[in-house]
Amino acid sequence: MTPKNPKTQRPGETHVQAVRDTFPGAVLDATWQAADQVTITVPTDMLPDVVEFLYYGRGGWLPNMVANDERAIKGCYALYYLLSMEESDPSFVTVRAEIDPHSMEYPSVTPRVPACVWSEREAYDMFGLRAVGLPDERRLVLPDDWPQNLYPLRKDAMDYRKRPAPVTDVENYSFLYEGNAEETTQVPMGPLHITSDEPGHFRLFVEGEEIIDADYRLFYVHRGMEKVAESRLNYDAVTFLADRICGICGNAHSVAYAEAVENAQGIEVPIRAQYVRSILLEVERLHSHLLNLGLVCHYCGFDTGFQHFFRVREKAMDLAVLLTGARKTYGLNLIGGVRRDILDEQKLATVKFVREMRNEVEALVDMLVSTANFESRTAGVGRLDPSIARDYSPVGPCVRGSGIARDVRFDHPFDGYKYLTGLKTRSHDGCDVQSRTLVRVEEFMDSLTMIEQLLEGAPAGPIQTEDWQYTPHKFALGYTEAPRGEDMHWAMVGDNQKCYRWRAKAATYSNWPILRYMLRGNTVADAAIIVGSMDPCYSCTDRVTVVDVAKKSETILTKDQLEGYCRRRTHSPLAGKGW
Amino acid sequence: MTIIIAIFQAVLLVVCAPLISGITRKIRAKMHSRTGTSIFQDYYDLAKLWRRAEVHEGGSGLVSRLMPPIFLGCFILVAAGLPLIMQVCPVPLLGDIITILYLMALPRFMFALASIDSAGSYTAIGGIRELLVGVLVEPSLMLVLFVMALACGSTNVGIMAASVATLTANPFVAVVVAGVACAMACYIEMGKLPFDLAEAEQEIQEGPLAAYSGPSLAMLKLGVSVKQLVVASLFVAIFLPFGAAATLAPLDLLLGFVAYVIKVGIVLLIAAVIENSVMRVRYKLLGRYTWFVVGIASLSLVFLVIGI
Repeated sequence: MTPKNPKTQRPGETHVQAVRDTFPGAVLDATWQAADQVTITVPTDMLPDVVEFLYYGRGGWLPNMVANDERAIKGCYALYYLLSMEESDPSFVTVRAEIDPHSMEYPSVTPRVPACVWSEREAYDMFGLRAVGLPDERRLVLPDDWPQNLYPLRKDAMDYRKRPAPVTDVENYSFLYEGNAEETTQVPMGPLHITSDEPGHFRLFVEGEEIIDADYRLFYVHRGMEKVAESRLNYDAVTFLADRICGICGNAHSVAYAEAVENAQGIEVPIRAQYVRSILLEVERLHSHLLNLGLVCHYCGFDTGFQHFFRVREKAMDLAVLLTGARKTYGLNLIGGVRRDILDEQKLATVKFVREMRNEVEALVDMLVSTANFESRTAGVGRLDPSIARDYSPVGPCVRGSGIARDVRFDHPFDGYKYLTGLKTRSHDGCDVQSRTLVRVEEFMDSLTMIEQLLEGAPAGPIQTEDWQYTPHKFALGYTEAPRGEDMHWAMVGDNQKCYRWRAKAATYSNWPILRYMLRGNTVADAAIIVGSMDPCYSCTDRVTVVDVAKKSETILTKDQLEGYCRRRTHSPLAGKGW
Repeated sequence: MTIIIAIFQAVLLVVCAPLISGITRKIRAKMHSRTGTSIFQDYYDLAKLWRRAEVHEGGSGLVSRLMPPIFLGCFILVAAGLPLIMQVCPVPLLGDIITILYLMALPRFMFALASIDSAGSYTAIGGIRELLVGVLVEPSLMLVLFVMALACGSTNVGIMAASVATLTANPFVAVVVAGVACAMACYIEMGKLPFDLAEAEQEIQEGPLAAYSGPSLAMLKLGVSVKQLVVASLFVAIFLPFGAAATLAPLDLLLGFVAYVIKVGIVLLIAAVIENSVMRVRYKLLGRYTWFVVGIASLSLVFLVIGI
């Protein structure tokens, strides 16, 4: 432990003390990974009590839980329940529990804190760690045809380049129905649906057109990123892989990963680089929010609005080209800084873009809000009750539309956001699609202001540092507020210049579990707009394993074939192979 | 002679429907700030579909197979009977409002029946919605036509047209109000946004259309275009008969034809603009809009009874 300054309390100290006072002897160890990040180790049987106390008793929110195979280091598995303390003493408190590698069991926290449900299901899929008392023990991540006893993220699992033989030929996922009505019709939405460009299987239980309940199966497009990062890439190359988690908010993931490592290794990022990172994050938010505003129009059958939002969105893409050299803000982060500075003439051009976009979007939003039926299509539709939101820790405009002002940029200011003035978290308390849309509109305007402030305030100086010592097995959190909510990355580096464990939590991962409650009581006609108001990102959530469940027959394409296809756009290499 | 005009009308509407639909798409594209496809795109689509093999859902029966030709055929019959170019019906038998209403109800009935025949859940929802639209809109349309029948003294559309054209339909206010109600009912009947509930793409994946392919789908798509044109023409024929040929003289017929094209063009242009500046109505709230139409239609009846 680093020596403690007796006069000033470190962030998180009050929470640790509160746990010590309430559960004497529960805190076996408390270490700070970064200024505002503390990890306390508790006995496994105390886990539910401590997490529940911090969550409900101390105003904590749970982004996710990370399981880790630490047999090579400590001879056990470990679970890290990450808690973002937002009420008093803002900080991150991680509750760590060690799990015996023989029993492989631990008491489930989900019955006390529902927000853990997906993480605990995933921990079983990936590591075989069984949460005793977990109400929903179905598979979450692994496909239906994956063998029963192969846990891909264990260090001694099958080589990541190989694939196990499929064990079943049929989909056997059971959809849960929790409603009361006796006779319902099941309406499948997906795995491929016209309004979602990525696969996700929704099962709507309806009476007439009214949705009684809904369940869903995701993770159809697993890419095995975490395994690849651990097995194949050096830790400093993972920033570029993290970019590829998402097609929209890749930069947010990249920054989150870089900061996880920087926090763990104690790397001081130059201030100018911090400003540049924030500016690029906001540019990403611009085009992402315009995308969603356009989609809201589209889902309501108002394609004119959709097309016009997309026309303005091109300006945001042009801005990205100006600042990063490509329409996507990819490939700009390094551990220790950024790769590209913002020059003076780019700054001037950016200010001009920002002014144009502000005028155009204001006009468009006026048009959208005054369009016939906008109110009736969105107000009161897809209600997310604040108490459900409190239980499941959703993030982003989803939770902010239910009157709960959570935003990492303001709750735990990082990077350039530390230096902003006069802005605060936006929230609306209608709890419906309309509120979520209005939150996005306001955040878009705020982003423009932020970009202006950040450009103005950025000091001159270097944009990278290479001045650090690599220490193995240190871990920490990195976080950013992506357009859809907070991205939370947890990274522990190993003794081989690689990630020992990297856990990337995309914003939408926190939002999926609440969708069921948002769909209830609405009509099938509203399903698409409700899902859309969450602005889900399927590929971000689906980042873990390797097998494609939808296609039993595999077709292996060479890189040349794919690249050739990208250029020609004709003669698909998959043609005639059943795709 | 009139039978030739009837056939000409039917052929004209079928041949032009894809063009009209293509022009509507072009207008939409312009309002979207897009370039858009060619105005002949619908012909290309139909030609392509026609060449494709037909696939039926397993377990679907005769109804599904019969629906597309019946759907298209009914509207072609209506098109043949309407007084479009002339002020009188080319085939009086087909010009009776009762015949017309039934010829429009039959395809709807078949459409709903076929949607139940299919196994898809979205299809069934689409069929139910189509029936709902029918139940809510048809009474207004009937009421309006009933008012017109009383005002003009005949259930024949041609006679109605003639008396409106010569401004002899009495009472005048009732006829104008009926015209307004008819315009609204026809707009809903056309199935354009915000009332395209049965085929709402984003909500129920085009509903019953999803179950069709190849020539059947081509027939249905053509049928939907023809339906829109026929419904617009019905309104034009009864309430805007001005300029239609009063005699069978070739010049009169030519002028009548030109007048018809201009009138329908304007009506469809207005419809296209409305269509692109609104959001789809929520299925649950459709009733509110149709009550409004029923209200206006009833008003025309009231005016008729008190004679103003």
